Amino acid sequence: MAITITAPNTTTLNWTKVFGNYAGTIYQSDSESCWYVEFAGKTARFDYRNILKLKKAVYNIDIEALLLNSEKAADLEILFICACDHCYVLSLLEIIALKDLLQGTFVMLELNHIIHDRLVRI
Amino acid sequence: MKDIMRVKCLLSSDVEALLNQQIKKEAHSSSIYLAMASWCNQNGFDFSSDYFFKQAEEERQHQLKFFKYVLDMGGTAISPEITAVKTEFNSFREIFEDALDQEISVTQSIKNIAARCYKEQDFVTVEFLNWFFKEQREEEYKARRALELFELIGEEGTGSWEIDKNVGKIKYSSEAE
Repeated sequence: MAITITAPNTTTLNWTKVFGNYAGTIYQSDSESCWYVEFAGKTARFDYRNILKLKKAVYNIDIEALLLNSEKAADLEILFICACDHCYVLSLLEIIALKDLLQGTFVMLELNHIIHDRLVRI
Repeated sequence: MKDIMRVKCLLSSDVEALLNQQIKKEAHSSSIYLAMASWCNQNGFDFSSDYFFKQAEEERQHQLKFFKYVLDMGGTAISPEITAVKTEFNSFREIFEDALDQEISVTQSIKNIAARCYKEQDFVTVEFLNWFFKEQREEEYKARRALELFELIGEEGTGSWEIDKNVGKIKYSSEAE
């Protein structure tokens, strides 16, 4: 179940910043085992399954084809994620920014996994 | 910061994608074998038809094994869409040539997954794959033996009938088991 929260106070909510770029930030909530994506003017909650679906949806967009598209139609993409209350209507530049945000986030999560392995598990 | 990704799923996204690809491959194999069973039946090769029905069922079991493994590991198992199943064959021999090619392609694909697992040190998946390597040894042996019947017996006269009869008798009972 996704909840929209505006202007979150990340300190009181105990969110950890995972990654941020010029367009948005992704936080992790350890207590809720989920991520909050602050992007395109809203903050949306994604659980494990949904953040993977978001990643897949964004990664599947063919940015190159959109860039080369010379049609007069607006370059808007609608990102709809099944069983998730959120939907994004994004311009091409926003898609690039969101992809960058997610790529950075997943690299950081992987790094966090390696650190956990090295410090605690192995 | 908690390592939520690892807690939720034991598979890396790369291995998960490869396993889903394999699920599709096994499903595709099962469909191809079914098409082969149909062709053999229509052309009067009853033993070969039974042989391919059995193979189709085995491939389906392999598909489910992969499917359940992905789920057990906390991953997302994707039910595949199967298209482009060859239904027309030029000859009785062509079917067995295709069957061997199919098995070789499955073995290579599983080797590719194992290579990736070794790289990531995913020994849990390697252990799971070991069962398939043994199975593929048997599958390739059977497909190769079937094809060899064409060399040994020849298709002239009642040759095809004789080959068909012997296909049903192929068994893998090696001491290397």
